[in-house]
Amino acid sequence: MNGAQHLIQALEQEGVDVIFGYPGGAIMPVYDALLDSKIRHILVRHEQAAALAADGYARATGKVGICMATSGPGATNLVTGIANAFMDSVPIVAITGQVPTSLLGTDAFQEVDIFGITLPVVKHSFLVDSADGLGEVVHEAFRIAATGRPGPVLIDLPKDIANAVAEFAPAPSHGAAISLKPAYKDITRAAELMRQSSRPVIYAGGGIGMARAVSEFRDFAELTGVPVVATLKGLGVLPPSHELFLGMMGMHGNQAANFAVQESDLLICIGVRFDDRATGKLATFAPHARVLHMDADASEIGKLRAADAAVVGDIRFALAQLAFVLPISEWREKCAAAKAEYAWKYQRSSSGEIDARYFLKRLSELAGEDAVVTSDVGQHQMWVAQHWQVARPENHLSSGGLGTMGFGLPAAIGAQLGRPDALVINITGDGSIMMNLQELVTLRRYDLPVKIVLFDNQALGMVRQWQELFHNERYSEVDLSDNPDFTAVAKSMGISSFRAERESEVEPAIGRLLNESGPVLAHVAIHPKANVWPIVGPGKSNSEMLEEEAR
Amino acid sequence: MNTFTYQMRVRHSEGALVRILGLTRRRRFDVIQFFAQPSPDGDFMDIEMTVRSARQGPTLARQLANLLDVTSVGFLVAEKAIAEKAIAPQAASVAC
Ligand SMILES: Cc1ncc(C[n+]2csc(CCOP(=O)(O)OP(=O)(O)O)c2C)c(N)n1
Ligand SMILES: [Mg+2]
Repeated sequence: MNGAQHLIQALEQEGVDVIFGYPGGAIMPVYDALLDSKIRHILVRHEQAAALAADGYARATGKVGICMATSGPGATNLVTGIANAFMDSVPIVAITGQVPTSLLGTDAFQEVDIFGITLPVVKHSFLVDSADGLGEVVHEAFRIAATGRPGPVLIDLPKDIANAVAEFAPAPSHGAAISLKPAYKDITRAAELMRQSSRPVIYAGGGIGMARAVSEFRDFAELTGVPVVATLKGLGVLPPSHELFLGMMGMHGNQAANFAVQESDLLICIGVRFDDRATGKLATFAPHARVLHMDADASEIGKLRAADAAVVGDIRFALAQLAFVLPISEWREKCAAAKAEYAWKYQRSSSGEIDARYFLKRLSELAGEDAVVTSDVGQHQMWVAQHWQVARPENHLSSGGLGTMGFGLPAAIGAQLGRPDALVINITGDGSIMMNLQELVTLRRYDLPVKIVLFDNQALGMVRQWQELFHNERYSEVDLSDNPDFTAVAKSMGISSFRAERESEVEPAIGRLLNESGPVLAHVAIHPKANVWPIVGPGKSNSEMLEEEAR
Repeated sequence: MNTFTYQMRVRHSEGALVRILGLTRRRRFDVIQFFAQPSPDGDFMDIEMTVRSARQGPTLARQLANLLDVTSVGFLVAEKAIAEKAIAPQAASVAC
């Protein structure tokens, strides 16, 4: 067997069922070996989509996602997707072909130092230097990607090593996954803080879903009775209708959620990193609260806000140990009253135009809680976060840390392949769709029944909103009124599509989207000046939310 | 501005030094002194790195400990040791 065959064998041993990729010169030996494998290869039309699809696959399934590209431009095209996975701690393994070892460092054709380029955005990386060790590298890469705080791992494979004949390397036995039990003294200190608190709030982040700790989290929240707010990536830790759930916090969060955090005397931070979109102005964030921080990654503790107590390690253990009843009914009632007061209100539009918020609420209700929604980046992403009934974190795929326009469609492809029976819906914008539009062809090629809702406001809406609110309405390069006819574009790529623009068309549009088999694109026109409310201005405190009326 | 010194044992592997220096720069720490020498068996390097920054020294220690090639980190502030080795036990156990 040669190195490439060893690589494929090692991937099979890891249980890989699908690879997202795009071939080229330096990776040809691997594509040759792939012909004799049962692993399914999905040929995307741009390598960025391969990395983002691997990311979507990993988020939706909890398994490691795999993407592959050739050297040079193939490898550099993966970078955005790798960075996206890094920022959101998603386990992917990216495999790149590389020029032969003898040409490394000579500026050979299609040589780039992808190992060097990706150093800041990988959890770890390998430049393979022998075919014999390749299997071991693959197994190690999987272990690193998936354990502790997950993240992307790069394997850069020179072509001569892929072609070299190698000894048969038996699969190294996988030790039990390392899961670190938090220290007992830290748990004790955490319990002490919880007992001393009369206004605790749980600040729940993406680390909960990533640690597969949702069920332990729910037990913890219900037993303690502590109100819960979530970050964008934490959505789904509790269903939105749950009495303890106050909504998303932060820049476009719910008033009730931000109120509770600002009033709290103890923030129980679980799997979070104090991102500025969530905290607003850090100096005034939760000003009266002590901080109890639980995370798989010790380096998050105290990074942005000092912790009064920290529990590092597998949060499932910590949550189970700390689940005890707290006498805080008065505080809980106050939070519940705020939730009722600030609940979203859906009014009929007077102009008869479609309101994206209502559209999303209805679609979410009719799609059901098992549907997977992927979002692109912009206003529509925030409307999804606010108005979609996210039942589990793995059912809401959104590019949080990097905010990558173009994430939604490839992520939907990955999710659909990982969960073939799920209803997968991509909510996108007229700006974002163009970033990976070519992947409509991939939907058709593999007949993936992804439903796409394209909210067309003829603008880079989120940027336009900021220019309106924070740059004195000086609009600079946000006009997309020359958009193509998206229904015609979709049809030309073999995707069924239709347009909706009146409020009266909402129910029929949703009906068609959900009932028509195969991939469908609904091109939904919305008002160009619709804004996301409420909003915390840049550099402002979360207690200074602007509501629509306060414009 | 504070001055911090880190002592690390680092596996001698592809890119290990660049990872350490890149991380240090990205996290806004300015390297002002750097010594590295091979361990007796040649498999590791022993590094002493002094940096200047307005940021928190222990945070960088934990971030360095997260690098898989870094097997241990000791952290000193202005010549005074305040923590030795295994700043992030979880990371160290992954790396070993
Ligand atoms: C790749 C990339 N480029 C630029 C941005 C900056 N950006 C954030 S939101 C946005 C506008 C998105 O427009 P659209 O997809 O139409 O969504 P809308 O806000 O109109 O709903 C831009 C340009 C980004 N997040 N990602
Ligand atoms: Mg738009």
